[in-house]
Amino acid sequence: MMVTINGKSYEAAAGQTLLELATANGIHIPTLCHDPRLHNYGACGICVVEDRKTGKLLRACSTNAAENMEVETDSEKVLASRRMTLRLLLSDHSGDCRPPCLKACPAHTDCQGYVGLIANGEYEAARALIEEQIPLPGSIGMICPHPCEEACRRHLVDEPINIAALKVFAAHQAPDWMPGCSAASGKKVGIIGAGPAGLTAAYFLRRAGHAVTIYEAMPEAGGMLRYGIPEYRLPRNLLKQEVERICRLGVEIKTDCKIGRDIELNDIISSYDAVFLGIGAWRYSRIGCAGEDMEGVLGGIDFLRAAAMHQAPDIGRRVAVLGGGNTAMDAARTAVRLGAEQVMVLYRRTRAEMPAEPLEIVEAEEDGVIFKFLVAPDEIIGENGRAKIIRVQQMRLGEPDSSGRRRPEPVEGAYQEIEIDTIIAAIGQQVDMSGLTGIEASRWKSIGADDITLATNIPGVFAGGDGVTGPGIAVEAVAQGKQAALSMMAYLNGEAFAPAPDLALERTITAEQLSGVPKAERLGPSRAPAAERAATFANYVGIMTPEQAQNEARRCLECGCQDYFDCKLIECAHRYELQAVDIEGAKHHGQSADRHPFVLREPAKCILCGMCVRVCEEVAGLGAIGLVGRGFDTRVEAEPGLTLESGSCNFCGLCISICPTGALMGKYPVAKRTPLALDETGLTCKECGQRECELIVRRKGNTIFDVTPGSTGYICAQGRDFALYSAAKH
Amino acid sequence: MSCQCKGDAACCQPDIEAGMAALDALIDRYGDDPGNLITVLQGAQDIYRYLPLPVMQHIAQRMDIRSSRVYGVATFYAQFRFEPVGKHLILLCQGTACHVNGADQIETALADELKLKMGETSADQLFTLSSAACLGCCSLAPVMMINGTAYGPLTPDKARAIIRDIRKQEEAQGGVAVC
Amino acid sequence: MLIRVGMSSCGIAAGANDIWSQLEPWAAGVPQLTLEKTGCIGLCFAEPLMDIIADDGHVYSYGNLNAERALAIAQHHLDCGQPLADALLHREDALIPFLKGQRRIALRNCGNMNPESLTAYMERGGYGFIGKVKDGFSPTDVIAAVKSSGLRGRGGAGFPTWMKWDAARTQAGEQKYIICNADEGDPGAFMDRSILEGDPHSVLEGMMIAGFAIGASQGLIYCRAEYPLAIKRLQIAIEAAEAAGVLGKDIAGSGFDFTISIRQGAGAFVCGEETALIASLEGERGMPRLKPPFPSEKGYRRHPSVINNVETLANLPWIISNGGEAFAAVGSPDSKGTKVFALAGKIKQGGLVEVPMGISLREIIYDLGGGIKNDKRFKAVQLGGPSGGCIPESLLDIPVDYQSINATGAIMGSGGMIVMDEDTCMVDLARYFLNFTQEESCGKCVQCRLGTRRMLEILERICAGDGQEDDLVLLEEIALQVKAGSLCGLGQSAPNPVLTTLNYFRSEYEAHIHERRCPAHQCKALIRYYIDPEKCKGCGLCGKQCPVHCISGERKQPWVIDEDKCSRCGTCMAVCPSKWAAIMVE
Repeated sequence: MMVTINGKSYEAAAGQTLLELATANGIHIPTLCHDPRLHNYGACGICVVEDRKTGKLLRACSTNAAENMEVETDSEKVLASRRMTLRLLLSDHSGDCRPPCLKACPAHTDCQGYVGLIANGEYEAARALIEEQIPLPGSIGMICPHPCEEACRRHLVDEPINIAALKVFAAHQAPDWMPGCSAASGKKVGIIGAGPAGLTAAYFLRRAGHAVTIYEAMPEAGGMLRYGIPEYRLPRNLLKQEVERICRLGVEIKTDCKIGRDIELNDIISSYDAVFLGIGAWRYSRIGCAGEDMEGVLGGIDFLRAAAMHQAPDIGRRVAVLGGGNTAMDAARTAVRLGAEQVMVLYRRTRAEMPAEPLEIVEAEEDGVIFKFLVAPDEIIGENGRAKIIRVQQMRLGEPDSSGRRRPEPVEGAYQEIEIDTIIAAIGQQVDMSGLTGIEASRWKSIGADDITLATNIPGVFAGGDGVTGPGIAVEAVAQGKQAALSMMAYLNGEAFAPAPDLALERTITAEQLSGVPKAERLGPSRAPAAERAATFANYVGIMTPEQAQNEARRCLECGCQDYFDCKLIECAHRYELQAVDIEGAKHHGQSADRHPFVLREPAKCILCGMCVRVCEEVAGLGAIGLVGRGFDTRVEAEPGLTLESGSCNFCGLCISICPTGALMGKYPVAKRTPLALDETGLTCKECGQRECELIVRRKGNTIFDVTPGSTGYICAQGRDFALYSAAKH
Repeated sequence: MSCQCKGDAACCQPDIEAGMAALDALIDRYGDDPGNLITVLQGAQDIYRYLPLPVMQHIAQRMDIRSSRVYGVATFYAQFRFEPVGKHLILLCQGTACHVNGADQIETALADELKLKMGETSADQLFTLSSAACLGCCSLAPVMMINGTAYGPLTPDKARAIIRDIRKQEEAQGGVAVC
Repeated sequence: MLIRVGMSSCGIAAGANDIWSQLEPWAAGVPQLTLEKTGCIGLCFAEPLMDIIADDGHVYSYGNLNAERALAIAQHHLDCGQPLADALLHREDALIPFLKGQRRIALRNCGNMNPESLTAYMERGGYGFIGKVKDGFSPTDVIAAVKSSGLRGRGGAGFPTWMKWDAARTQAGEQKYIICNADEGDPGAFMDRSILEGDPHSVLEGMMIAGFAIGASQGLIYCRAEYPLAIKRLQIAIEAAEAAGVLGKDIAGSGFDFTISIRQGAGAFVCGEETALIASLEGERGMPRLKPPFPSEKGYRRHPSVINNVETLANLPWIISNGGEAFAAVGSPDSKGTKVFALAGKIKQGGLVEVPMGISLREIIYDLGGGIKNDKRFKAVQLGGPSGGCIPESLLDIPVDYQSINATGAIMGSGGMIVMDEDTCMVDLARYFLNFTQEESCGKCVQCRLGTRRMLEILERICAGDGQEDDLVLLEEIALQVKAGSLCGLGQSAPNPVLTTLNYFRSEYEAHIHERRCPAHQCKALIRYYIDPEKCKGCGLCGKQCPVHCISGERKQPWVIDEDKCSRCGTCMAVCPSKWAAIMVE
């Protein structure tokens, strides 16, 4: 018989369902409760298709094809129904699709993923996973203020996981790992600036097969990583090696080539299929007080660059650094290392408001830097054109401003004069747009670029990093570099850029909920004592030992859902472009049960598709679990009066393999369970002598994270053990 | 309530034993057909006034039905109870006619008179306050049923008076037996 | 002389047992007197009822009785041979309007005979079908008769009865089943209970007719456990019929075998849905199954099965004995025959009425029902229970037929008809129904399990005064998708109360959300009670009755309500003597 699907005719067999017919012809119809091994059930209703003749919605999983039937699988009506189904399901689905560390990272680096891989000794896989987002893992790991760690839930127990140090560790352990590149596309991309944004964009564009040339104004690549961050924080060699890896992929870097000086932007635009501007924010913000143009007054970023090039001017004995951010800390600590006797940081608010990283502040203090709070520069008084005294106005904190920090207000008539030899102004940085002919600026006098596509006003020209956002942290520039690369790839392919869907559920966890987690000391790399490190520019932070790293990685609380990469619910939510969980209401917060030797249950993620109950009954023949109660409060439970492990359950794991979400998960002999996109290999099990079962071993590196039934649709505990054993052997 | 074990613990076993002969007779009569599971559960509840866990397990074993299924069926239907109920089971009708005729005021009055919330059983095991979807006596709304006898149309005062009458009778008989 | 006491559940609830126990010993001493029980005549508003049938056949009806009064009336009849004129309901002499507008087919025996007597049923032409079979009536003859009657299922969906039968009849298979759906679950509907209690044999005969038509030899009655009296009378009827040979093997030598057994439902509204009912009969969780296969193909125990509702079945003996055309002559072109409604709510004369299809809602409510209680203003009539909808005053003149009712957004349903006055809050009513369907959802399909829950939560917050600006949009959006995507009838119809009230009474929703006001003064979070000091005479009645003791004052001085403590139950307003009416609500 003939059935029309989406306007096209298909031959259907008698008794064939619409779902089977569509699937056989490559037409996607989603389902969350149907499995060929089981009787039709019809719970999820997401497989609905529209009957063109009646306008009614039919469940494709259970509607038999009939002569002259006409259905639409993606009509407006169908999509509206599926979206509502998903919105409803998500309204009663509790979990963290993705871990807080990943969500906090501007580049969405899968911290839980690589931490888990390190715990399992899979260092190369860890590096590869980091490089899905960050092509400079060692360098970023060294200097990143790690928002991931701020978000790490382990702080509710003791201290966050040392994620940044583990990133450095992974980079260090797998120095030779190289990503592959796609076949040459024939497209050329020009990039201005070899900083974190430009290098990242270059890396991903190159991996996608495009030819990439970077134009760099400075003698060496690295941007602010090279010239803004002092060597004691980021060893030059490490950065150099990581830049060289990018070059080894085929990226060409032309150094000492500045736009507007050595080459015109228009020439670059006309020579390439697409251009990326990653110029950074290299101009220091002026103090705005009398006397600031005198000799002995330096811009923070200029000072650091000079120091990085071993061209630092004589700064004398007494140095005052203005500002409370990381650049101020870098400048102050660099001044210490350049031999200044008294380095003083002048900040107009208090320590609590300082934007610099706490560890940087502590280490600056240990280096001997003196902090003076609640003072603002009023006038620089000089002698013979050279700064000699800085007069500061005493401040006090008033009401909070728009940033939420308390606003400093002058204390009338209270001034103080401080004798100095050098003043370093580290109160901000700006974008230098010179040479960017024809590029429109934003309201903030940075490069104007679309938030999503990062496209500038000139077609084919994209921009990202500090040059667009103003000064930020390096990993933000990395994030924009990748975003720009993806947007440019779409542009080069003549497609519209659509960012990857990122809807991810999140739950609120309290310290009380984690009170059962045993405390464990946070482990980190060795650091040289303050006395030793202040005298030299040499890096003083070591690298963790493998033992340290694995132990530290095992502290991870595994916040992100283990089943993220297998979850059919989130896959559907992404496919149907759900933006948010927008229907609120009571949720089920069933307690997760972890006593079973193999089955980990998270009832709060159950969508009541009934597949576990049905597979246990219909395929395994056990009935170890059943549906209990009815309606909204229906739940899946073990046999009455028993726990799952003490009942009829034989640990076959069919329920786990069929569960569309993370409500049922398997426990495998791994050091740390980790949600990952796994590699699969097949094998045949004949161990029982009765059945021959195709099994799929799912692993990352040498670690097996999962074994599932293959085409034969069956698995048992014996089969799984066999798979684990034989896969481990080979 | 003197017993919180819900029929699981030793304190209630003698009671379960006491009904066993009747339960087995029930299973002998209906047990060969798994389709009769609900009938058997209803009979068991008639014997015990609720469904203790060991009773469900016994039914599962004798009827050769998985206990997960027995429990799944029992918990699906509103009629089945898993905790002992008071001697007087009060079912307040939640039907539409009762609702629009002020059933919630009756509920407030009953709850106040009995010092019980919906679904609770009094400490002396005398009363359980519960609800029914509709008792089908809509023209007498609002209605309640106590141990199978319907009362209506109620006013808050009338409902209180009915409870007081029962209490008086019970006191005259000298209290109740407790599990 | 024959005395009949209305002994249906509602009669008993109203006190019929007292009357019976008063009359029984008395009657035992009077040889010329027969005392019998009967079912519900439908005059529920006048329960408890008693009929005295004089030897000349004249029926005298009395209502609103108590034991003493009943005895006095009976004694009066016995002593004087005359009715007690001022106590009469004037039923036979001048048919009271309640009965006048009715056409009783399904209810033909209810209240007119002893339901526990097979003889009584036979005397009224019962089991005449057996004679027809013996005369050579064939299954196709039965189907033809039912087809010509135009009878449609009275359980709610209104599917033509003969089509269901024909589908099952043409299925291969030795074993087929007739299932009587007596799981009357709609809150506010009690016509099936009344039939089962008042005329069980007609249901049994109806099943026999259906069984004969499709080739089934077994019938099952799925009756809700909340109807103990109905179950008892069915049991009595089955035993009597079996003993008399009108049920069982080779019925009265006709060669036709038919047995009937009763199964009790266990409290699940969803089991009114055919496939869920079958699952329940099979001892499973009452979760609907996917259709196809339809029950007529693979039903109970995978055998072809027909499920008919009580009222449908009770019509059949009449159709067979009077002919399909006679039935079709009643009613409207689209909807033939009669329909029984359970008239309740804010109505003067609530009860059971059987009316010809095509009658207007206004006639039922005002002519039969006598209008609104306490002469308040009519607001809406709810048809079809949790699956149905609310019809506003502007549509009261539409005829009661399947097409016209469906066009309003409500459904004919099983016959629950709840009348609401100005004091009924339509948002609260929608919340009430959603609360019901949400609790009764089996939980299988997402749309119903979560959709009804989320709709309920939105309605709850609107009633609680926490409604949000876009709540109505979201509510409607969810409602439409639940309707379109749910697996079974429960979910597909659950949004109807919401959609109809949103359609006809949207301003009431908006008042709750935008003005934080409940126009009907029902939503406790949005109202306040206060005492008008000008009107209050200081009698203290309200203070005495207040369950939370929040009203205080001096005797003969105006009293005051402590609003912080007030639970807004409205008791004070109800007890304040109407001549003063000092309690106000806003």
